[in-house]
Amino acid sequence: MVSRARRSVAPASRLAALDDAAQLHLLRRATWGPTPDSRAEIARLGSRAWLEAQLDPASIDDSALEAFVRRFPNYQRSAEDVVRGGYQAVEWNLMFDVGRITLARQIWSRRQLLEVVVDVWNNLLHVACPSSDVWSSRQDYDRTVIRRHAFGSFADMLVDSARNPAMLQFLDNTSSRAGAPNENYARECLELHTVGVEAGYSEADVKTAARLLTGLRANDAGASVFDASRHDGSGGTIFGFSYPAHAPADGFRWIEAYLRWLAVHPATAARVCRRLAVRFVGDDPPASLVDRMAQVWRAGAGQVVPVLRTMFTSPEFAASAEAKTRTPQEDFVASLRTLGTGMEPSGTAGIVKLFWHALDSGHAPMAWPAPNGYPDVAAAWASPSGTLLRWNRHMDFAGGWYPKELQFKPATSLLDALPGTWGGLVDALALRLTGSPLSADERNALLSYTGRGAGTPLGAGDRWVQNNVQYLVALVLDSPTFCKR
Amino acid sequence: MPHLRSTPTTTPAAGRCTCDEGAAAASQLSRRAVLKTALGAGAAAATSFAVGDVSTQVSWAGAGWTGETLVVLSLHGGFDGLSAVVPGGDPGYYAARPNIAVPRATLLGLDQTFGLHPAMAPLMPFWRNGTFGVVHAVGQDNPSRSHFAAMQEMERAAPGTSVRTGWIDRTLGTTGTGSVLNGVQIGVQTPTSFAGPVQETTMNSIPDFSLIGPGDDRPTWHSVLRRMHASAPPVVAQPATTLLTAMEDVARIGTSASGPANGAVYPAGDLGSALAQSATLIRSGAPVQVLAVDYGDWDMHAGLGRVDGGWMRDKLVELSSALAAFATDLGGKLATTTLVTLSEFGRRVGENLSGGLDHGHGNAVLLLGGPVVGGRVHGRWPGLGAGQLLDGDLAGTTDYRAVIGEVLTKRLGAGSLGQVFPGFAGSPLGVVRSR
Repeated sequence: MVSRARRSVAPASRLAALDDAAQLHLLRRATWGPTPDSRAEIARLGSRAWLEAQLDPASIDDSALEAFVRRFPNYQRSAEDVVRGGYQAVEWNLMFDVGRITLARQIWSRRQLLEVVVDVWNNLLHVACPSSDVWSSRQDYDRTVIRRHAFGSFADMLVDSARNPAMLQFLDNTSSRAGAPNENYARECLELHTVGVEAGYSEADVKTAARLLTGLRANDAGASVFDASRHDGSGGTIFGFSYPAHAPADGFRWIEAYLRWLAVHPATAARVCRRLAVRFVGDDPPASLVDRMAQVWRAGAGQVVPVLRTMFTSPEFAASAEAKTRTPQEDFVASLRTLGTGMEPSGTAGIVKLFWHALDSGHAPMAWPAPNGYPDVAAAWASPSGTLLRWNRHMDFAGGWYPKELQFKPATSLLDALPGTWGGLVDALALRLTGSPLSADERNALLSYTGRGAGTPLGAGDRWVQNNVQYLVALVLDSPTFCKR
Repeated sequence: MPHLRSTPTTTPAAGRCTCDEGAAAASQLSRRAVLKTALGAGAAAATSFAVGDVSTQVSWAGAGWTGETLVVLSLHGGFDGLSAVVPGGDPGYYAARPNIAVPRATLLGLDQTFGLHPAMAPLMPFWRNGTFGVVHAVGQDNPSRSHFAAMQEMERAAPGTSVRTGWIDRTLGTTGTGSVLNGVQIGVQTPTSFAGPVQETTMNSIPDFSLIGPGDDRPTWHSVLRRMHASAPPVVAQPATTLLTAMEDVARIGTSASGPANGAVYPAGDLGSALAQSATLIRSGAPVQVLAVDYGDWDMHAGLGRVDGGWMRDKLVELSSALAAFATDLGGKLATTTLVTLSEFGRRVGENLSGGLDHGHGNAVLLLGGPVVGGRVHGRWPGLGAGQLLDGDLAGTTDYRAVIGEVLTKRLGAGSLGQVFPGFAGSPLGVVRSR
């Protein structure tokens, strides 16, 4: 819909409005949802400088969030340290902590682009959290694989994922050995992490890869080791990657060479770049853009930042405004962000409850049980039950009903000033919460909820507003406009 | 269209997927209307339905739907049918699984070749009364060992074609009454089998299937939300309008049918909960034709366990006790309900040295319900001898579409299967009785 406000503005401010629209588009894609603060920040810096700052997360002060993360001391422990410390295997709290911390970062971190990209990698090199075999290692995987390399080299991330105890357990490579290969990781590494099943490798390739990957395991102390006594040193060819018969002690060298070869394979470049573009540009992103991203990927040997920069500064990205639909997780987080909900002043009871909420919604960070990670296209999430969960969470958050520990802003304080008419109230709330004007259907529907005409004067201190604005806010968040990303 | 609602509802113009399917939706709706006119009142199924405090006869004008229900229980992850319905009479089985085989002495005897895993004892009464049966060595065309490719293909059920819809959606395209409760998934995610123009419902649970905001003001909220979505893109509007209609329909069911009934006791956990919701819906008389439930975590590459303990035993205990409770809970409705288990593939015949099983092919399908020709293992057993395996796997001698197709035609009133399973020309095995 064309904004009624925009139609009447003068040329100079029309340019400003266009710039504003481009900034809103970038914020909707490169963050977990615009906030009043992030809108002010991008307006001050301009889109390009804002993007460059986000691509260099260390340049952004995130001390408040980091202090919050320190409320979960076990998150910093290595897998070995957790095993040594007598943490119980039946105790899933440490895995839940990883989910809680991730959710908190999505809502409150100022390094927002990093958090979105981390989510993409978490779904690509997916280790389900929680899942029973990674109780001691999932926090280690989060820190030393995904976050360490999120803006670095994909090849490094792939190698470190292959040898992290979490991946070794989740996809069973830890129990694979010479003479008794377990194909699970070998297959998913090709199918899900790199070239993809459509690349056309064979069953024989999978079996050969499983033999090459033997010896890489997690030991009883919870540590990742290369155990030469379990490695199959015979030579072979995997989908074009040939390696000689070798001494078992040299096995890891050939495993690493294989993984680095896979990381920059043209099929990997195309597939992973498409995955990024599906997240940031559209459910069926333009091939022209994916091709250019893949070229940058290969030229940079899998360096992530240049690929992201190519994508965000492309005309295809600029032309894709409002083409994505928020997934349940994005909707959940974006609702809290636009409402200006603050983290709890102390303790963790609120984030714990919020995380259960996210789990109930079927889309808590990293909780997808299968190795392929969450789907990232609207059609996969278009379900009635998902819609209901979305709408009911909007009410919880707009009303400040749950979890009480969070610092909810009263719905009555979302607007600086009360507009003079009921139409003005609906418009102002919609702009404040969604960034966009509503469609006529949405506007009329919300006005019908107030039971007043658009032009009916609205008096300060109106009782209906005092009592019902929280419901009106929830309904604005239920609007199709708020679903747009 | 059913005449359940007194208020007119919006019919979204397009399906959830592509523009092509949106166009298909429009033609589907008009075709269905034509069918309804042609078949007239004779095809209507009459159902007793509680509306508010008044019990009313509601007519669900269907294009030939018989009033029966197919429940599809998806065992995602790759169910090992050989551990559940064990070929203890085939020496190849014990040779291939020196450590994880189910010992012959522990099997619950079914016939000379097969016995059930002892963890499945709760299903034995249904085996004996003929409402529980098995089809063994079931597979799908173009066997893939990728979970995701195999699952997609199974739910699309149109190999070798460019059809992008799912088989449940296509079934409801031929038998649907127009109610959004014709196809129900218990859960949050929409399965591939629902892809296409027909509107199906997903719900987590019946008690939670309502808005928390409105209090007594529910009709206003529903009307505001409907209006707000009137011109929204289908991918947002369709689930929203389906949800609103389904919530209104389910609210009419009310608590009168809430279960469990007949003394059924479900095991704790997601499966028991989902099957209890399913039984409540079926017992309520809601026009549920196909009901889908997922029960995953069968991907046992390592540490499958032994007969008396471990991953497989625990899963089979939960599965069997939940199925037994479901059959009990349904009471008289068991006579018109057929439950079928499906899994994207079976597992390798030979165990790996992690005490587990890698991805394989042929599998067992479990059948439960009044229409089932139970008390026997259907299908042609290809054997587990060296020359009988397919690349180390149990061969698939029955296409899974033959099993489902038989239920659809004999029980649900589907006509030709050409539209549901394009290009499939299998013949029925006799796994269910004709009506």
